[in-house]
Amino acid sequence: MSRLKTPDDLFALRNKLDSERKVDRTCVTICSGTGCLATRSQDVVAEFERQIAEKGLGDKVELRRTGCWGLCERGPIVVILPERICYLGTKAKDVPEIVSETLMEGRYVERLLYKDTGTGERIARLDDIPFYKHQQRLLLEANTQIDPKRIEDYIAIGGYSALAKALFRMKPDGVIKEIEDSGLRGRGGGGFPTGWKWKSSRDCADDPKYVIVNADEGDPGAYMDRSVLEGNPHSVLEGLIIGAYAIGAKEGFIYVRQEYPLAVENTELAIRKAREYGLIGENILGSGFSFTITIKRGAGAFVSGESSALMSVVEGKVGEPRPKYVHTAHKGLWDKPTVLNNVETWANVPLIVNNGAEWFNKIGTAKSTGTKIFSLVGKIINTGLVEVPMGIPMRRIVFDIGSGVPNGKKFKAVQTGGPSGGVLPESMIDTPVDFDRLLEAGSMMGSGGMIIMDEDTCMVDTARYYTDFLGHESCGKCVPCREGLRQMLVILDNITSGKGKEGDIELLEELADVMRVASLCALGQTAANPVLSTIAHFRDEYEAHIRDKRCPALVCRELIAFVIDPDKCIACGLCAKSCPVGAISKVEGEKTVYRIEQEKCIKCGNCLVVCPPKARAISKVASMDLAAGAKKTAAGKKGGKKK
Amino acid sequence: MEDFSAVRGRSPAPLAWKGALIMSLNGKDELIMNTTDVLIIMGDGDSMREDCRRALEKGGYRVDVAGDGRKGLDLIGTAHPRVAVIDLEIPGTTGTEALAEISRIDPTIVPIAVTGSGSVDSAVESMKLGAFDYMTKPFDPLRLLESVRRAAALSEKRKQSERPVSAHGGTAGDGPVADRQTIALRGLEILGQYYSLGLDKRDFLAELTSLETEAKLHAETLGQIGEKEKFLRDMLAQLNLVDEIIAKYDYDKSTVLQIMLEVQARLNWLPGHVLRWISRRLKVSLSHLYTIANFYEALSLEPVGTYRIEVCTGTACHVRGASGLNTSVSALLGLQPGQTDADMTFTLKNVHCLGCCALAPVMKINDQYYSNPSTRDLEKIFESLRREKKNYVAVENA
Repeated sequence: MSRLKTPDDLFALRNKLDSERKVDRTCVTICSGTGCLATRSQDVVAEFERQIAEKGLGDKVELRRTGCWGLCERGPIVVILPERICYLGTKAKDVPEIVSETLMEGRYVERLLYKDTGTGERIARLDDIPFYKHQQRLLLEANTQIDPKRIEDYIAIGGYSALAKALFRMKPDGVIKEIEDSGLRGRGGGGFPTGWKWKSSRDCADDPKYVIVNADEGDPGAYMDRSVLEGNPHSVLEGLIIGAYAIGAKEGFIYVRQEYPLAVENTELAIRKAREYGLIGENILGSGFSFTITIKRGAGAFVSGESSALMSVVEGKVGEPRPKYVHTAHKGLWDKPTVLNNVETWANVPLIVNNGAEWFNKIGTAKSTGTKIFSLVGKIINTGLVEVPMGIPMRRIVFDIGSGVPNGKKFKAVQTGGPSGGVLPESMIDTPVDFDRLLEAGSMMGSGGMIIMDEDTCMVDTARYYTDFLGHESCGKCVPCREGLRQMLVILDNITSGKGKEGDIELLEELADVMRVASLCALGQTAANPVLSTIAHFRDEYEAHIRDKRCPALVCRELIAFVIDPDKCIACGLCAKSCPVGAISKVEGEKTVYRIEQEKCIKCGNCLVVCPPKARAISKVASMDLAAGAKKTAAGKKGGKKK
Repeated sequence: MEDFSAVRGRSPAPLAWKGALIMSLNGKDELIMNTTDVLIIMGDGDSMREDCRRALEKGGYRVDVAGDGRKGLDLIGTAHPRVAVIDLEIPGTTGTEALAEISRIDPTIVPIAVTGSGSVDSAVESMKLGAFDYMTKPFDPLRLLESVRRAAALSEKRKQSERPVSAHGGTAGDGPVADRQTIALRGLEILGQYYSLGLDKRDFLAELTSLETEAKLHAETLGQIGEKEKFLRDMLAQLNLVDEIIAKYDYDKSTVLQIMLEVQARLNWLPGHVLRWISRRLKVSLSHLYTIANFYEALSLEPVGTYRIEVCTGTACHVRGASGLNTSVSALLGLQPGQTDADMTFTLKNVHCLGCCALAPVMKINDQYYSNPSTRDLEKIFESLRREKKNYVAVENA
């Protein structure tokens, strides 16, 4: 490998690599993102290697480990190019059949194809699967074309050409103007205009300047940054180098959370390779511009993803936020001008530089341009990462791409914006998904978590969950956030355990108001959003908990019980085996049945899951009803004796 | 043979001789009367003397004090204490002379040396003169109490063992072997303490080598020394590792979190002495390191089990039943989140989002992810890991 000294070297290398990639040759791509690795895609790769060698297909078939394909729940995903035949849930034992049927005979292995939930029809081509059909994958598509561990793959599909263009055909101001005109807004949560941030840092007289990638994706339920960094780290690096050139920075940092070991590994490798090619370091491509990148790992603290807190961590301090009277674009890292954007924002930069602001402007809505990646999770059939143009109605994401709620349950709400966001109930499902409309609807874009909730999800429990989470993650520096969250949790704990009182809801609202006004950073200011938004849309659920001591969704443990219907029980004993505390025992009698001892039951719900569908003897009931029912039976029995 | 269990830190049962006059034999087969248990030889103006006296009396000992070396040695001859606490900088005599004199008067008395200006040399010398422990002022009086407890137990053992040895004439090697064991063992203990205060690594190594020679002479009989040595060697290996990591980050203070993360990854936790080491090496205050260690979820100030079980409680997992999974794991292992089981096999943790939301609910054990495991699956997983650890330990021991 030789250092690239001019842009022409880069283009020559690209042409050479591109011609080596025979497009018509069969290529088996196997997803090696964290999701698919968890379902052992590495075994599938090994088996393919063995089979291909055994059958002597080495010349005809290429094997490629790629980044995340998005439909993570159905992994490991195998896609065979160029036809783009998509096999889901592939195990190592399926590989011989794929090799002999598909690779050698050109036939499909039906059982591994996607099955449409409505029609039951099998779909062979990736692009015909509803999950992919309705997406616009500008960023994620590259994930599927390259091996993230090979910089050559990225260069072959045109990687680093945007960098060459920026360095040699554009002035720094020109790059900033292009980004400003594109209307690109920060993908990390607030939706701040990226171009403005860059410009104000560039205009600041202070030196040196810094650029930072925020990959501290602490938002529970969101993992798109992870997939971009794991699957296509070079796109982020390229964006970062262009940004550094535009604002005049010589040094950049990537802050990755330590829960993402593969992302750290792939990014480290990418930096090393880019340095070897001379794309990072001294005198990049002979332009005279020099730039270095260092990785910093986080250590599991949600608040450290806040920009000023993150900069403290990079400086070696504890990751606590500080007041931002002066914007970090002017006084950030070591009090120097600093531009901080998240992974997805940086990955958009090369696209804009290559295709122009006008092209980018046409995607999405007037004020929210481009696409956005969402992590569509929770109670949804097609779970995974989706990339859609801004402004798409929520309904299309949930029902067209996600195929709706599984097991015939009813959709209840979608939560966006993570712990700072809110919920949209079914009545607002047609809301277009962009920065401003979501804010108007009382939620926010956030970093892109989209958690679908069905009728079995309790909204009070959800609010309690977020409050608990934020209480753990609050750094404790300012009182309104620290104490406000603690008191809110006490109230919510009371409500969910049946000890709620009249006036609790109003008290929550009052607390929320103080926290919003008086907290130091965005974490505290928005911490009450999950509570406020669930109160706004699901006040009746709160009232049911408080007044009737009843959890309508049958979630809150103190208010529910599990019971076995003796008439339906087939005495298979599966529930007893699954019970971790031995609360289920056999009752011999006329008809042998199993019974749950309520005093021992810890309400884990395992028995409900394992009870065979043909029996369906176990059900969740409100404890109130159980108590009432017990009284009734006792009374009934007494009556029987008298006879 | 001496019983080293007391020395190794298992404190003996509380002493029963409070307030009673005790008759016993000293090392020279003379009948003596103990009128005091502990003698503190410290300057009259020393404010620590009273603190020590109070702490020891609260611990049930009869305490006498002496203000200078001469008086102290006289009292030793008449009151026959079991333990003598000697300030090395007392007026009237030098501390080292006093130490030598004590073992001449009565070898069953166990001396403890304290000093206002600790150094490796004086520690080693005191140890050679028979000091059981070595403390640098100011120290916690409770630490002294703990040390006195162990010293008293040792004195008792000496009294019991000295007589039969002398009565039967003893085997030629017994005395010296026991002495060398004691010396080596005490030396290692002192070094351990010094080390934890941040002894220079080169000095530490030199001392360890000489003690090692000593210990090797008695390799077969010195199981305890072997253990102690292993402990110190492990500590040393940890130090070397930390040094390597710090060098990798170029002694850059701003990378302290990265260094701690890497140490955590290699050692599974952050022992106190490692933090002290980092603090000295990087010239960062220890309190700063503790702040960082407490702030971040990923850093642990307690040892973690071989298998670190992380049950994800991210939103996606929560909605799909993470709390049920959590309850099952908890019930099966008998652990609450944050706890480690007694044999250091499993540590249970709750984490906020592992970023595998599509596989919810997710559990991660070390590097392996498990999507929605049933109770049966969990039982099988835990069982196979327990077996794996057993095999691993067996191989390691072989």
